[in-house]
Amino acid sequence: MLRITRRAGERVIVGGDVVIEVLEVRGATVRLGIDAPRSVSIYREELWLEIKQENEAAASGPDQLPELPKDFPPLNPE
Amino acid sequence: MIATPINLGHSDAAEQEAAYETHLTSRFGEIQVLVDSIIDFPDGLIGLGGSRYALLRTDAKSPFVWLQSLTDPGIALPVTNPHRFFGDFAVQLADEEAERLGLANAEPADVFVTVTAASALAEFTANTKAPILVREGHGHQVLNQAPGGAVKTPLFPGLADNTAQAG
Repeated sequence: MLRITRRAGERVIVGGDVVIEVLEVRGATVRLGIDAPRSVSIYREELWLEIKQENEAAASGPDQLPELPKDFPPLNPE
Repeated sequence: MIATPINLGHSDAAEQEAAYETHLTSRFGEIQVLVDSIIDFPDGLIGLGGSRYALLRTDAKSPFVWLQSLTDPGIALPVTNPHRFFGDFAVQLADEEAERLGLANAEPADVFVTVTAASALAEFTANTKAPILVREGHGHQVLNQAPGGAVKTPLFPGLADNTAQAG
C-alpha cells in the first residue's frame, strides 16, 4: 500500500480525475473531501462490505422459495 | 423450473421486431430474455459486479422475482417490491448520489429490495438499506438515507414473533 503523509488542506490525486483532500484533522478523526467523476461510486468501507455480504447471502439462498401460507395476511397491492 | 422474463417495458416493444437473447443460467437453465427488458447496471450490484441483469418470474403468485445476472450465469438474487411488505417504505438518496445517478428530479423508478431467503419464512430478510432502483433500462443499487433502512429487515415480522412466542 502506498503511504503518503498529508496535512489539512493538502490533496492527493488518483488516476488523474479523482481528488482527495484532507479537510480537517481532529484527534483520531480525519475529514476527507473527494471529487470524482460521476462514474465513480464512493462508499464507507464498512457499509460497502455489509451490503456486499448481504448481496452474496441473497445470491446463495435456496433455488426455490417457499410459498406464502394461504392464511397469510394479504400484502399491500403492487 | 420455468422462469419467465419480466418486461418492464422501458421502450415500446410492440413497435419493433421483438429480439431475444438466449442465456444459460445455473438456477434456471436456458432462458430467453427480451433484449428490451435487459437492465444495464453501470456499477453492477455492490460487491457482486455484473453489468447486465434480467428479472425472471418463476411463480405468478409469488411476491418474489429473481434478478438474474446475464454476465455471470451463477448469480441470481430474489428481489421483491418493498412497498408490498413495508407500508411506510421510502427511498431517500443523498443529493450527490441522486445527481450522480441522474435520478434527481426524475420520474419515479421501479424499486426492488434483495431478499435473503432461508428455509423458514420467519427468517427471510430484505435489504432496505441498499434498494435497487430501475428506470429506463438502467439499474442502480443505492444507499437509502431514509430512517429505518437496514441491511437485514425481517420480511415477515409477524411470523418471527409467533415463532419466538412458541419457542
